[in-house]
Amino acid sequence: MGLTRRTFLRSSVAMLAATACSPTAAPVSKPAETKPATPPTSAPPAAQPTVAAQPTAVAPPAASAAQTPAAAAAPRTGGELQFIVGAEPPSFDGHRETTFALLHALSPHYSLLIRFNPDAYPEVMPDLAESWDVSADKLTYTFKIRDGVKFHDGSPCTARDIKASYDRILNPPEGVVSARKGSYGAVESVEAPDPGTIVFKLKYPSAALLTLLASPFNYIYSADKLAADQKFPEKNVLGTGPYKFVEYVPGSHWVGQKNPDYFVQGRPYLDGFRANFIREPAAQIAAIRGGRAQIEFRGFPPPARDDLVRAMGDKIKVEESAWIVTLIAIFNTEKAPFNDPRVRRALNIAVDRWEGSNALSRITVVKPVGTFVRPGSPFHRPESELLKMEGFSRDMTQAREEARRLLREAGVPDGFAFNLKNRDVPTPYEPSGVFLIDQWRRIGLNVTHVQQESNAYLSDHRAGNFEVSVDFIADYADEPDIQLSKFLSPDRSASNYSRYTDRELDALYDQQSRETDPERRNQLVWQFEDRCIQQMAYAFPIIWWQRIVPYSSSVKNYPVLPSHYVNQDLAHVWLDA
Amino acid sequence: MQGYIVSRILLMIPTLLGVAIITFILLRMVPGDVVQLKLAGDGGNVAAEVIQAERARLGLDKPLLAQFFDWIWGAVRFDFGLSMWTGRPIIQEVLIRLELSVQLTIMATLIATVLALPLGILAAVKRDTWIDYAVRIFSIAGLAIPSFWLGIVLILVLLIAFQYSPPLSFTPFFKDPVENLSQLIWPALAVGYRYSAVATRMTRSTLLEVMREDYVRTARAKGLRESLVVVRHALRNAFLPVVTVIGLEFAFLLGGLLVTEQVFNLNGIGKLMVEAVLRRDYTMTQALILLVASVFVLVNFLVDLLYVWLDPRVSYR
Repeated sequence: MGLTRRTFLRSSVAMLAATACSPTAAPVSKPAETKPATPPTSAPPAAQPTVAAQPTAVAPPAASAAQTPAAAAAPRTGGELQFIVGAEPPSFDGHRETTFALLHALSPHYSLLIRFNPDAYPEVMPDLAESWDVSADKLTYTFKIRDGVKFHDGSPCTARDIKASYDRILNPPEGVVSARKGSYGAVESVEAPDPGTIVFKLKYPSAALLTLLASPFNYIYSADKLAADQKFPEKNVLGTGPYKFVEYVPGSHWVGQKNPDYFVQGRPYLDGFRANFIREPAAQIAAIRGGRAQIEFRGFPPPARDDLVRAMGDKIKVEESAWIVTLIAIFNTEKAPFNDPRVRRALNIAVDRWEGSNALSRITVVKPVGTFVRPGSPFHRPESELLKMEGFSRDMTQAREEARRLLREAGVPDGFAFNLKNRDVPTPYEPSGVFLIDQWRRIGLNVTHVQQESNAYLSDHRAGNFEVSVDFIADYADEPDIQLSKFLSPDRSASNYSRYTDRELDALYDQQSRETDPERRNQLVWQFEDRCIQQMAYAFPIIWWQRIVPYSSSVKNYPVLPSHYVNQDLAHVWLDA
Repeated sequence: MQGYIVSRILLMIPTLLGVAIITFILLRMVPGDVVQLKLAGDGGNVAAEVIQAERARLGLDKPLLAQFFDWIWGAVRFDFGLSMWTGRPIIQEVLIRLELSVQLTIMATLIATVLALPLGILAAVKRDTWIDYAVRIFSIAGLAIPSFWLGIVLILVLLIAFQYSPPLSFTPFFKDPVENLSQLIWPALAVGYRYSAVATRMTRSTLLEVMREDYVRTARAKGLRESLVVVRHALRNAFLPVVTVIGLEFAFLLGGLLVTEQVFNLNGIGKLMVEAVLRRDYTMTQALILLVASVFVLVNFLVDLLYVWLDPRVSYR
């Protein structure tokens, strides 16, 4: 392969990233606050189901926005948080967009009905709702709305505004895009019987409803503004959140200032924030090292983390978490030999994820080993169960022998050649693709790595122009309704690029979605995964991402959660002197 | 002369139309579209009908010919439409970034000119001396080192030696000159150095050529001092190719420093163009390429006119 301009630039940028953070005279000791990451050799135990997973929990969580999160030291007020956002929001409309770039810039301006509790993720807690009740038949959710909440223009925010916002999400008018409309199939209606009450009526019980209502994209907009123009939120910012909008310079920055009328007493702590849009990782790292910015919420790969720590000493701290993002391998089941489940199973079995985790976690942002639900999430199976699954064995000699046997049975005993399509993103797509190719080489397969720029990559996925490809799942919450929806038959999932129709899988999905008993739901989720990963091997997980966030030690009270989509309203963040 | 000017202006029309057609066709040949990236690029499981509706809203479902005529009809009225990515007017998006790009171009041109002219003259006058060799090494290095790489080195030196990184946002010069220059001086130096290398070598070689002309020999024979010979007789005649090079480089820089702007995170035309191409923002990319082509055509035209002023022997009929 020749040295292209793109390759050359990428190498240069990588060099800068590495060199920019090379050791200087700064202390070399690691900061004490660095948290050890989840060991790759064991999947975290399944946690107890949470409020979000239990619609039967009628009592609201004890914590309130005003009390949460608790800080170790006395919070200090004032200061402007400078952070980096690696992309820009196409529009300002949360209901329409799907990118983190929107959330990082706009979430400080908005409130939600309920939100995730940053101190007890994935529990949900009140935001505009004060409390809620769930009917005995689990078909009616009644939320009590806070009194006295005002939009930034001074107009009151009531249940009417919440209804208008959810009507827009559930039944977008002509010309309005609602990206997550499909997630709320269980909701029959949203009613606002009085200014202080909002009622969600369901067609059938939904285990995921509270999690879905805590979606960080579900900003509450002014009903009056929507009545005048349903596209108002695309180009205007008017929320009830902790910060008011000040300025947006496309390509450069976004500024917010403290909302003195914020409904949580004493919040926010900061005077304001400034989001700087910086695309290049090397420039992001330089900005943090040079003190121009304090944090990039998605984080950096391990080499950049280590170099920043070496260069900045106690001026930087690092937090890590398993991330609700995973790379998966998908097959085009319409192309031979991948239309044969035995071939697909062989490719799944041949991958040593445990060793991959050990090796790749040193150079890129992957680490936890798991299925389609995040290791450590309430839905993840314990390691003892995981090891029984095809593709998760630690005995790779036996696993590879089984893979070769399956290939012989499928009529390709001498292996074959194919292309692995992948996104040309250095972290962690490229190393993960190289890892897969090496694993498959060990069972006699000859794989060519075809890396593509994002748009061409997505286009080929949609058109079925691939044999095997690296795909991804990225979400704001550990919720099977969200994570597993991708694997539904194509008439129900636009992102099922494997192009199979499997009604048994669809039925399992529906059953788990309506099952409100956590234990029984977990069993159904695992059955879904067994079919999708083991029996039919339509797709399989590679290795889950690890969120590594090195940030200025002056930033306080920003717990790094498993998702970079949530906890971005910055109401509780404060800056040390 | 007037006839020449009119014909050159008229020739710009087919040139720019050709650019518009080629750009339009090439963009449509590249796989992917803006809607797909916008709605599904972060893994969103967005229904196919939502994507179709958005494509229709942007006019991407129309026949290609209709899309082209819609766009070109707007362009001739200086209405480039809305960005397919942001939905904001393209003129507005460009104007936000133009001030930075223009200032950076002017700064880089000034740096290049201030370096190139004296060094080129010195190298020519002191041909084959250590001064000439030093200038040649300096200028060859400038050609060999890509400006974005030099930019990376500058950033590293500032970070490692001074724990300093330039401001992240652009501040207009007349609002805060210090903040403004703190951001732009580094890319201007990186780009200006390469630019000066081209101009230095051109100044040296053309001056050497002119110095061999009969009228220079005559001037020397009249007993004029060498400095007068160079400044009064040789330099003005040597300027024509130098001005051409400076003009072309100026147009190139104004068209956007695609890589350097990424390295320094500058919110200029180059960065906008890179992002527009990556996002398949057709309307934005088409407008920017047309803008860059227009700048090239215009600067070339102005350089040609400048020849008349620099050299009275040149005339256009």
